[in-house]
Amino acid sequence: MTVKTFSQGVFLPHYKEFSEKKSITTIPLPKEVVIPLHQHTGAPCRALVKPGDEVKAGQRIGESDAFVSAYVHASVDGKVTAVEPRPYFTGTNVESVVIEVDAKQSKPAWQERDTSKLSIDEIRAAIKDAGIVGMGGAAFPTHVKLSPPKPIDAFIVNACECEPFLTCDHRMMLEMTDMLLEGARLAQKAVSAPKLIFGVETNKPDAIQALNSKIAGEAGVELVALDVKYPQGSEKQLIKAVLDREVPPGKLPFDVGVVVQNVATCIAVYEACRYGKPSIERVLTVTGDGAAKPQNVLVKMGTPIGHIIEQCGGFKGEAGKVIMGGPMTGWAQSRLDTSIVKGSSGILLFSPAMVAETEHKACVRCGKCVDHCPMFLYPNYISTYAETGRFDLADEWGAMDCFECGVCVYVCPSNRPIVQFVREAKKQIAAARAARN
Amino acid sequence: MADKNLTLAISSSPHLRSPDTVSNAMRDVLLALLPITLVSIYFFKLHAVFLILVCLAAAALTELLFRKVMNKPSSLDDGSALVTGLLVALCFGPSTAWWTAALCTFIGVGIAKELMGGLGWNRFNPALFGRVSVILLVPIFSYLSSIFVSMRPYLGEIDMVTQATPLALLKQGVGMPGLFDLFLAFPGGALAETSALALILGGIYLFYKEHITWEIPVSMIVAVFVVALIFGQNPLYHVLAGGVLLGAFFMATDWVTSPITSKGKLIFGAAIGILVIVFRVGLGPTEGTAFSILIMNAFVPYIDRVTKRPKFGEVAASQSASVSAGRPVSKTS
Repeated sequence: MTVKTFSQGVFLPHYKEFSEKKSITTIPLPKEVVIPLHQHTGAPCRALVKPGDEVKAGQRIGESDAFVSAYVHASVDGKVTAVEPRPYFTGTNVESVVIEVDAKQSKPAWQERDTSKLSIDEIRAAIKDAGIVGMGGAAFPTHVKLSPPKPIDAFIVNACECEPFLTCDHRMMLEMTDMLLEGARLAQKAVSAPKLIFGVETNKPDAIQALNSKIAGEAGVELVALDVKYPQGSEKQLIKAVLDREVPPGKLPFDVGVVVQNVATCIAVYEACRYGKPSIERVLTVTGDGAAKPQNVLVKMGTPIGHIIEQCGGFKGEAGKVIMGGPMTGWAQSRLDTSIVKGSSGILLFSPAMVAETEHKACVRCGKCVDHCPMFLYPNYISTYAETGRFDLADEWGAMDCFECGVCVYVCPSNRPIVQFVREAKKQIAAARAARN
Repeated sequence: MADKNLTLAISSSPHLRSPDTVSNAMRDVLLALLPITLVSIYFFKLHAVFLILVCLAAAALTELLFRKVMNKPSSLDDGSALVTGLLVALCFGPSTAWWTAALCTFIGVGIAKELMGGLGWNRFNPALFGRVSVILLVPIFSYLSSIFVSMRPYLGEIDMVTQATPLALLKQGVGMPGLFDLFLAFPGGALAETSALALILGGIYLFYKEHITWEIPVSMIVAVFVVALIFGQNPLYHVLAGGVLLGAFFMATDWVTSPITSKGKLIFGAAIGILVIVFRVGLGPTEGTAFSILIMNAFVPYIDRVTKRPKFGEVAASQSASVSAGRPVSKTS
């Protein structure tokens, strides 16, 4: 088996052993769900319901006329109790629909369709109606991504799951192999790509085997085994490894004829096309060295993370940190009433021992960040210039091309919060550019 | 949510850290200097021990003093002061007056490092800055000598062969030690000049621990070798004698004061190597390495700038642009 990869990046401990062998389970519904109206890249939705309204699971409760946006749907049967700003996982407040969950939930009546007869426009419409966004974390509206303005020759399924700890994509590949394949083919058809490629890291040999046994002998479908290196699951690095094409700075994958979607998104595409089922639930991994019972669970969108943590046995011992998402790009939570959104791939529970030191020192110019940065930037200079307020120089050394993977911070012997400096630099640079124009 | 007692740590992503720290790296540098330290102690006995202890203590006290005065938290735990102290000691011969070594350490740690803002903000290698400052201050030393008591009587006699460094002998062309002695162990010159092998072992350890990369040592040593040949000198002698190996493995590779990229490191190392021979041939037998590294330290920001690599996708973008721009018109018509 040839194993491909990209330049630089870093080998991280996997930490997948906590949950990679645990089958996907469900948990009891919470008392209320909180569904943010803006949980995607693009325009926020406006609420279509008001307090007191009865809603059914799958009912559209938020929409926007903007092309780059994604509808939101009620994930449960229940009664709207409020439409108001609620704490969001990134630390801000976002206008949300709060639904009190009915004790008795009706069985959703999905209309089955023959997906092979769907036209490109019907596939895109089904995806748009379902409000699907990239479920790997970026939350970019999928119907937009599947309407590229340039010809596409390869559709890549991002099955890397390169963040440590997370195993939900891995489990879905094993337990929903056919749905994944079917969803990937539908998405491939939507962009009229002659080639379908699965990119999987080699720490999921069972998933590689499962997929290979299904695609064996099929023309135009290929599985590429990838080295277990972070951030292999970043689009640009994935395209580089799989096709040896580089997406230029400021450009998007379609500029090199590629569209990438992750595993969970492909499965959501399948469900939307086959059943007209909106994006109202997702599989996520509840794990970490502080998790009593690490596992992969299927939960309704809007479920408060506190409920999920409780249903999964809570903390084993003292609580250190709760992270929404992966350990490299996820968000530390200060409260547990934030809710699961379409882009949430995991809830990590860290023991106090696992919590990283926050004190940092000056850059000692060791160059490790430069040696590992997958974008070939200079995190050392960017962070020092951002720290000293020279945002013009931070820009010169590449701040705007950083996608905040966190590799530089991981390797930094001075423990510098480089990503934090980059975020500040991006804000200041954007403001300065806006002021100039 | 319900649990009011739940205290959660909040910080920006990422939430994982590698075990690498500055303190670990400095500890490894001290370990890498252990072989040469032991060899020097073997040859110079208490003289070496005393000099090393004076420099270590001076380094620690200087850093404590400067940070106290500047109202900054102590940074002794990063170990960089001890590395500077040990390097300063190793650059001196065993008969050096204790106060000369202490002054050198004080200037290196206090002025070249702490006054510049502390570790990371210094542009010049602290040990070498101290070293060269002391050389420039030599004229006032005769006065200082008269007020300090020499420690030599208490520490025993020094083997007289040590009074002339191998490089000085090379210049005079008399009584040169054999190359093999020089490589393995020879009690000449500074503490760090006693064994090339011990320095190489330390360098290999730093390379193995990934604290240094091959570019600077290799380009510097190759440049010394080649330029010595051009000047009609014995190239091996120039590599093995004097401060070239200590400089190549432990000083030119100093993180803070060397370039970031591979290309930059090659330029930096080669330039140092060329300067070393130019100084040795043109000026005098000693201090060539110290001057060369210090001069090139000043060029590091410039080297970083001119060797800046393209970002991910930039090369491919310019290539495809030139390909489409250069496409023959006849093919498309």
